[in-house]
Amino acid sequence: MSHFYTEERDFGSFVDALVRVTRVVGPIAKRQKFVFGEVLSAEDLRLDYDTTLLPPKKVFFPPKQLIATFDADSVQGSVDPVATVLLGVHPYDVRGIDMTDFLFRERNEDWNYLAQREATTIIASNVQKVAPRAFWASMMGTNGPQGHDAFLTKLENGYVFETRTPAGEELVRHGCFREATAEEIAAAEKVNADVLGQCQEQLPYSGAEIAAKVRASFDKEDLWDELAMDCFSCGSCNVVCPTCYCFDMRDAWNLDQNSGTRTRYWDACLTREFAAISMPGGGHENFREHHQSRFRHRFMRKGAYLNEKLGGPACTGCGRCSMACTADIADPVRVINTIMEWSE
Amino acid sequence: MSNESHDCACANHESLFVPREAKILHTHQPTTTEKHFTLQFADGGPLKFQPGQILEVGVMGYGEIPIGIASSPTRTSTFEIVVRTVGRVSTAINSKKVGDSLWVRGPLGHGFDVDALRGHDVLVVAGGIGICPTRSLIQYIADQRDDFGRFVLFYGARDPLQLLFPEDRGVWRATHGIEYHETVDRADISWTGNVGVITTLFRNTQLSAETRVIICGPPVMFEFVIRELDEAGIKRENIYVDLERRMKCGVGKCGHCQINDKYCCIDGPVFTYAAIHELEEAI
Repeated sequence: MSHFYTEERDFGSFVDALVRVTRVVGPIAKRQKFVFGEVLSAEDLRLDYDTTLLPPKKVFFPPKQLIATFDADSVQGSVDPVATVLLGVHPYDVRGIDMTDFLFRERNEDWNYLAQREATTIIASNVQKVAPRAFWASMMGTNGPQGHDAFLTKLENGYVFETRTPAGEELVRHGCFREATAEEIAAAEKVNADVLGQCQEQLPYSGAEIAAKVRASFDKEDLWDELAMDCFSCGSCNVVCPTCYCFDMRDAWNLDQNSGTRTRYWDACLTREFAAISMPGGGHENFREHHQSRFRHRFMRKGAYLNEKLGGPACTGCGRCSMACTADIADPVRVINTIMEWSE
Repeated sequence: MSNESHDCACANHESLFVPREAKILHTHQPTTTEKHFTLQFADGGPLKFQPGQILEVGVMGYGEIPIGIASSPTRTSTFEIVVRTVGRVSTAINSKKVGDSLWVRGPLGHGFDVDALRGHDVLVVAGGIGICPTRSLIQYIADQRDDFGRFVLFYGARDPLQLLFPEDRGVWRATHGIEYHETVDRADISWTGNVGVITTLFRNTQLSAETRVIICGPPVMFEFVIRELDEAGIKRENIYVDLERRMKCGVGKCGHCQINDKYCCIDGPVFTYAAIHELEEAI
């Protein structure tokens, strides 16, 4: 829609003005790392972060979400969105949100996700420092990130603030903005173009190429045995992934043992019992019994099944799984490149 | 993917996960592990469904499990389920009595395509507790018997004590338009019928190659039954399989029931064999 500019010295008061009127979530420091957390003052905000431990998906799809409360004879659903500005989302994480938006909306609209999504205004921001395992430059898809309301780019002495939606435009009144000059807009474009060259790794294939090869690799047992050999089935790759959205539902009783809650928790398809059902006599039938089949399933989803729905791999190139994996085998660059180059 | 904005009326959008209260009108315990419930929604509303569709049935405080509807949509004022005690949730459900409530979501998923069966010979192959979701279709066909060709029903259980629906079986045996055959893997002293796995019933029944076949039973059964059907020249697109998986959400989100790129809960639980025979994770 429009390009605005604010001076570095005015930016803090813009953030503080937002904090006064709404809940603001953004990248903040947590010891040596960064997380998306509630921003209580502009001083908390760390737009110089490389990446966060968990993706911003958790704002709409929290690790633990109340679904319903119950007592002896009634059940009350809980859809309870809080107006939020999600500030400082890197473009690759906007891509992740674009994907979960689609996935929670397709076929059956999941309002336990969508309500908070619709109550949230997203301000994306440029990547000032590239995480060591990131490869998002090669994962931007054909259209790039779409779901943000505004995009903030840091220049030497201030920020270009590009608005994309009325909700993004609306934020401008909280700060001291003027229209950006053509030079400032060009400088911002250059900053965002230049950073693409700084990712150390890349996946140089089209979504369609990856889908075809990954699908065709399903029954290559030797390949999957090799790729998954050291997998501990811990689910760390699932937990940090911006496009993983599997979940479990669990009930719990309150202390009165009469009322309680039904809660949605993140789940992880790499864990051993994920696809197991109880059988008579106390046994189980596990439809993905071996760690190779679970590891393969995750890459089938990211590389083929969801790829075909989304028009590109369900991977943003954030590099979080590469960093989180206990055995360092989850890196999609390693896995997908191995599949692409595999010959029997 | 698009960034279209929606008129935010979030408060009016309902969660997919809030169950409805269903009152238990009647129970019956046919075996030591199975309990048969007749239910009615507490608000009096009907349950409109296709045979083969499922419900997420739960007890608050324990959780939900997917259960095939065991009654026919042609008998609408109440609905029936049969629950086998195997885990924590099913144990909680089966401790409930007449007058208690269960909490139900559904109907969910894709049931039997009854229009594709109409006018054709139909064979139902039900193993063990697989008789429960197929009973919905059996009643449906029995209630509209003239709409279908020859109707053959194979039912097998581990032993005579595991056979469900004694009254129904009496009716099926006595009904002229139903060719009913049953077998048990292991006989007891009272048993005079066929002994052997369910595929032994194929020996005495000639099937036309145009027969529509429904299979529901334990995972191990499918492969052997399909081998028999293949020999009878029955095409894959005329074979319907009713699959069981772990289904948590029932709406195609949570990921537990995935069979390759299909969701058992919304693409199934009933699939044509043609649709899944190439899915490595299906059978």
